[in-house]
Amino acid sequence: MTQRISKTKRFIMTNPIIQFFKYIYLSLKILVIVAGGHGGTRKNI
Amino acid sequence: MAKIVILGAGISGHVAATHLRRKLSKNHEVLVVSPNSNYQWIPSNIWVGIGRMKSEQILFPLAPLYKKKKIGFKQAKAVSFHPEGDSEVDKPYVLIEYVIGENKGNFEKVTYDYLINATGPKLAFDMTEGLIPGKNKVYSVCTYGHAEHAWQGLNKVIQQMKQGKKAKILIGTGHAKSTCQGAAFEYILNVEKELRRHKVRDKAEITWIANEYQLGDFGMDGMLLSYGNNIMKSSEMIEMVFEDRGIKWITRAGVNKIEDGVAHYETLDGEYKSENFDFAMLIPAFSGHGFKAYDKSDNDITEKLFKGFMLVDADYTPKPYEQWTVQDWPETYQNPSYKNIFAPGIAFAPPHAISKPRVSKNGTSISPAPPRTGMPSGITAKLVAENIIDIINGKKTLNHRGSLGNMGAACIASAGYGLMKGSGVSITTFPIVPDYVKYPDTQGRKLGKTFGDIGLAGHWLKLTLHYAFLYKAKMKPFWWLIPE
Ligand SMILES: Cc1cc2nc3c(=O)[nH]c(=O)nc-3n(C[C@H](O)[C@H](O)[C@H](O)COP(=O)(O)OP(=O)(O)OC[C@H]3O[C@@H](n4cnc5c(N)ncnc54)[C@H](O)[C@@H]3O)c2cc1C
Repeated sequence: MTQRISKTKRFIMTNPIIQFFKYIYLSLKILVIVAGGHGGTRKNI
Repeated sequence: MAKIVILGAGISGHVAATHLRRKLSKNHEVLVVSPNSNYQWIPSNIWVGIGRMKSEQILFPLAPLYKKKKIGFKQAKAVSFHPEGDSEVDKPYVLIEYVIGENKGNFEKVTYDYLINATGPKLAFDMTEGLIPGKNKVYSVCTYGHAEHAWQGLNKVIQQMKQGKKAKILIGTGHAKSTCQGAAFEYILNVEKELRRHKVRDKAEITWIANEYQLGDFGMDGMLLSYGNNIMKSSEMIEMVFEDRGIKWITRAGVNKIEDGVAHYETLDGEYKSENFDFAMLIPAFSGHGFKAYDKSDNDITEKLFKGFMLVDADYTPKPYEQWTVQDWPETYQNPSYKNIFAPGIAFAPPHAISKPRVSKNGTSISPAPPRTGMPSGITAKLVAENIIDIINGKKTLNHRGSLGNMGAACIASAGYGLMKGSGVSITTFPIVPDYVKYPDTQGRKLGKTFGDIGLAGHWLKLTLHYAFLYKAKMKPFWWLIPE
């Protein structure tokens, strides 16, 4: 095993309070990307 | 009065059926034909496969829901397509075979005005010799039944490790052309986490094996993503996670044969190698169902409807990788020969792969087939339903369009189960099929909309999706407000 994630990073990844805010942020960001719409790519239509 | 027949009740078939039923008056008939009596939320199979969820938590029976919502249901499988009818039946129909009850083995001609083929993939285990779920120490998590068996197999190995035995675990793709690397990725991280929970991690050697050229390809040519303040390649991100968790990896490998506890594979370099294991979970190749189609005079017209999967409004002209464009990808999922047939989700034939095709020195094609995850499956099914509703209401053009080249997707990969100890790798991609013309400097994707994140929040997100999508699928109050 090679430690590739620093202790600070790991703390951020596992701390429930920080992660709660992350959860809200990610939910909204994902909603914007996914519900942000889709469409065609062909110009002639 | 129109009759819409939907083949398949997976993510795309069920989404199409529910939206059609909600928006069409009861004068119109919506009928689902599917061999499985249950709806299953496939993404949560991962947790069934590590023993942290029971099958009952990820499925529900379709018949009572469909009865309540006035959606017709036949527990049967489509056998052949007859888009012009035949000498006896004037209307187009599909021939179905009942799979259960007193009608089992009986055939019926089910006529339609509009047909949605949402039959997804055939799990083609037979394309890899010896790859049989539950045999040769190899398992699958592609269905809830398979995932239950996988947990039994894994638990057996965990108990042996608790007795002091060392074990080798192999997880990844079981064929040179497999797709759905994401599911295997989730499973390997969940297994690793469970071994730590059972305090046997030090007894296990865990190895990833895949047909990807690089880690993190996921059948989508990898991606450049924003990760915190950095810009990172998906290969670097996954490498970081694997190294941190002590997971070894073998890439560029086409598994071609499984024997008891041995996976044989060929590499892109043309070498033939093998890997031993005590427990393996390998995703099979996905193929079309091998449906046949016939015209009114009973002539075989299969090539008008199928090229493995169903032909839709894609550009299927063979081209080299360098000439692939997002414009090749379909937008309405309508069959060009029979305009009242549509194929959303995994059922449509992709114009080509997304990842760069690669061939080994021996001429074996070793590179992932294009994945079509749950989100695009739902979105394409909904737009097909909306276009059919428009046609029924007199519109002449198909206004609802959704190309995978102009659509985002979120892949929330579980990296370990547990309300406080869980983890998830959240990745979003926009667009799914890279648009190298529009985004030339960022490997075909829009940064910002293509990002990655790792942490407990990812696990909560995945849990939220589990409950939200099952709520939606059960058509509970205001279900339609939850996006696909
Ligand atoms: C283990 C696993 C984990 C996954 N995790 C994720 C994830 O986290 N996020 C994500 O977005 N995607 C995920 N996916 C992918 C996602 O499950 C698929 O994209 C999605 O299920 C495709 O939907 P579909 O309706 O096209 O096909 P399916 O869900 O496969 O549905 C096909 C339906 O057709 C029926 N059928 C089959 N043959 C016939 C026939 N002859 N006649 C009539 N009906 C037939 C089947 O019974 C089924 O009901 C995962 C996949 C797997 C295997």
